[in-house]
Amino acid sequence: MTTGHRLRACTLGAFLILAAVPASATTGDLPALGPSVTVTRLPLGGTSIVQPAQGAPVAAVELWYRAPSTGFGSKPVPALARLAAQVVAASKPLIGDPLGKVVTDAGGRLAITVYSDSISISAVVPADAARQVVKALTTSFFAPVVTQDGFRFAQRDVEQEALISTFDPQTVVRDAIFSQLFTDGPQHYPALGGPSDVNQISFADVKSFAERAFRSQNATLVISGDVEPTIAGAAVAGRPATGGALDPEPALTPALADIPAPITKDFVEPSGGYGWVGPAITSPREATAMDFIADFLFRSDDGFVTKQAGDRYPDSLLVGQFITLHDPGVMFVAFAGQDDDALKSLVDAGFARVQQPLEPAVFASALGAFKYHLLSDLQTPTEMADNFGWYTVEGAPDYAPGANGEHGVYFEAANSLTPEYVASVAQKYLGKAPVIVTLRPAVVRKTQSQ
Amino acid sequence: MNVSKTQAFLAALGLAVLLAPAQGVRAAAQSPEPHYPRAVATNLGVTRLIGETDSDAPVSGVQIFVAAGLDRERAGKNGVSALVAECILRTPVTSDLVAVPLPLREAMTASGGSITYTVDGRSVHYYIEGRPESIGALLALVSKAMAQPDFSTPTLAAARASLTARLSAFEGNALSVGIEMFRRSYYATGAAEPALGTIATLSGLSSADVQTFYAATYRRAAIAASAAGRLTPDLGRSVSALANALPDGPLSAVDERAHPIPAQAPRIVARRDVQAPWIVVGFAAPPPSSRDFGAMLVLESLLSDAFERSSATTLGFVEKSVGAFYLYDSTPASLVVYVNGTEVDPSIALRELLVVSKSLSLKPLGPTALKHFKTAAEGQFVADTVDLADRSYLLGAFSSQGLGSDSINAALTALQNTTAADVRRVARNYLQRYIVALVLPRQSDGP
Repeated sequence: MTTGHRLRACTLGAFLILAAVPASATTGDLPALGPSVTVTRLPLGGTSIVQPAQGAPVAAVELWYRAPSTGFGSKPVPALARLAAQVVAASKPLIGDPLGKVVTDAGGRLAITVYSDSISISAVVPADAARQVVKALTTSFFAPVVTQDGFRFAQRDVEQEALISTFDPQTVVRDAIFSQLFTDGPQHYPALGGPSDVNQISFADVKSFAERAFRSQNATLVISGDVEPTIAGAAVAGRPATGGALDPEPALTPALADIPAPITKDFVEPSGGYGWVGPAITSPREATAMDFIADFLFRSDDGFVTKQAGDRYPDSLLVGQFITLHDPGVMFVAFAGQDDDALKSLVDAGFARVQQPLEPAVFASALGAFKYHLLSDLQTPTEMADNFGWYTVEGAPDYAPGANGEHGVYFEAANSLTPEYVASVAQKYLGKAPVIVTLRPAVVRKTQSQ
Repeated sequence: MNVSKTQAFLAALGLAVLLAPAQGVRAAAQSPEPHYPRAVATNLGVTRLIGETDSDAPVSGVQIFVAAGLDRERAGKNGVSALVAECILRTPVTSDLVAVPLPLREAMTASGGSITYTVDGRSVHYYIEGRPESIGALLALVSKAMAQPDFSTPTLAAARASLTARLSAFEGNALSVGIEMFRRSYYATGAAEPALGTIATLSGLSSADVQTFYAATYRRAAIAASAAGRLTPDLGRSVSALANALPDGPLSAVDERAHPIPAQAPRIVARRDVQAPWIVVGFAAPPPSSRDFGAMLVLESLLSDAFERSSATTLGFVEKSVGAFYLYDSTPASLVVYVNGTEVDPSIALRELLVVSKSLSLKPLGPTALKHFKTAAEGQFVADTVDLADRSYLLGAFSSQGLGSDSINAALTALQNTTAADVRRVARNYLQRYIVALVLPRQSDGP
């Protein structure tokens, strides 16, 4: 996963590995992300990243946290992180209006996205309201207040969001893949949960989670767009860490399945997908090669596989991406439509193709297209902020494609790719048996099994 | 429904602000007056280029407008504009970077860029994006395909098949179907027809039809361009070369008319494979050059958000019960308001929508409410106009409709200058007559 655009395209499910809180996200040395990017330490811990940009008079103001979607306790509570964030946004803080109202009154939009072990709270607002929203966002999320009213409204809203997600084949396939790839931990569960999961969460659970997860020491504040470099100064300090010390979350070892079993489930339309474990974010050249493969095969409209699928099966859905994570990453493909067996054949042929070195001319064109796509996906404030937020909570802010422009770690890795190297990475990670997910309408599946 | 019940209903929907605007509504803490980088027009002789420069943008985006939209399709030839555009994207081209002929779209990808197109009432516009240093080469590829398009039988067949497949997906979208129904009733010209044609019209279009349309419309005088992002000094030369590669000659005058909307609101009904009923209410609307433009933007925002349940996070499209779109891509413009029957009882929502429309025409918004809705409208406008494709499109579209070179900022200024009297006047002049399009599930009695 390389860009905000694709990052946002996969926001509906679970896909993270719970690992150590990357030290650079909250403590230690500040990363150097480019001459136009200002990185500072927040007063009580945590990091702020500000990237002013010309263009539309808007600002993206985002807070990223590393926290398990299923809560900190030994018993997983699916959807807890998502609900807790919504409750905080809906609750009236000690001073001022609820965050949601502040953003709406400023003419902005507020979104909350949860992954297996991270959360993003993202506002897009007219530039003149940016400072006010930075203050409101940090007021709400650096010393969270949760109210019964906020809890009630949030439960209704998140329940509806969870219900809608159950009709999205991409989400259902991805959740099924992750539940098979990982035997435990938050990545084993849907980050958004189901409507019944949301209903079963108590106010006390929400309050406890919010107080532990949502604090400055655990935060990355990212602001981009038509803003001043000093705008992070509008953030409030929040509450001090317990005992005056920072409190990073403990490291957990990812629980991978030895031999992931195929899975078949009921769904409203024929769908399917694959998943493989890939390289960690600490292997930038390998991770970039996987991004290149995903771009070459599955870029919307003009990917090697998506173009064929679009021409032959225009009503179908086909999504493929490498999700860059702390350790390990995941290559994920989902397809849906009446011709899903044929789609699967196209996907198989695509993965077979990249396990052989691409012809030099094809590779050169594909690499040029890949680098253009990276740049194109960094053109809005939200894309820029997502880019830094994601890679920071995953522990490698300087590997963000937007860091140091085309002279940064990411583009250096991209420039080092060769046809042979890409093929070797594909063989290493995609040559293994994947997790296979098959979704069928219940009646069809029963008929087929007779 | 009596007045008190209506008030209670409106209050429940968050619309109490309309009826008691001076109370209970906190204004935005600031009065933002955002502005885009100032756009500049360059006269290229044969055409002109309007550009909005961000020197730190990673890419450049260029819109090439061709006056070859629905307004110029002749009766029975609906879909020909899209078919020509599809053929252009499939025309084989070569360049220094692309030695072997590739269809234009693939050649753009191989050259590190991209191209898409959109057909609307007044134009078909191509969006080209790429690295600033390669945008000239990308435009040269487009120029080759546009000047000598491939209308061979295989290319036409592939283009037709692609459009037909997209139409199938369109038919399952209740909102699109509803808007199309309204447009068919409202417009008296080609703008009434579906942007991509229909399966029937596409199958009836011959190679001669395509070539006739192309010859009549793809001329130098039909070209206009707008750009946003990091713009290089030689961009104008590339646009000029593209226009010069097309034949000279006049464009025929175009008819831009709509039918008057009757006082007795017409209702049109269609049945589709949809889960729940949807309603689209269509109104006439002022063009961007009108003094009423800003007020209609406020009304669009007001009607889009005022009925929603309160949620801390912004509701996505599928979660919204009522929404509005101000369609100024055709002339005359229109406003459509939709009701999503999966979220609300469409009959009640329709009734209340009409009550609100009426009340807006009778009583001006109070200063607090006006400020609230102007801020919301401004936020919606800038949030929808962020990426280079949207910015370059609006620059060109607004400019061609009389908002000058710095047209996005002119639109924002119009919005910022809007008064309560403007909103009331526009509600009175435009929201009292409407067409109702009902899209119902195939097996239902309707709302």
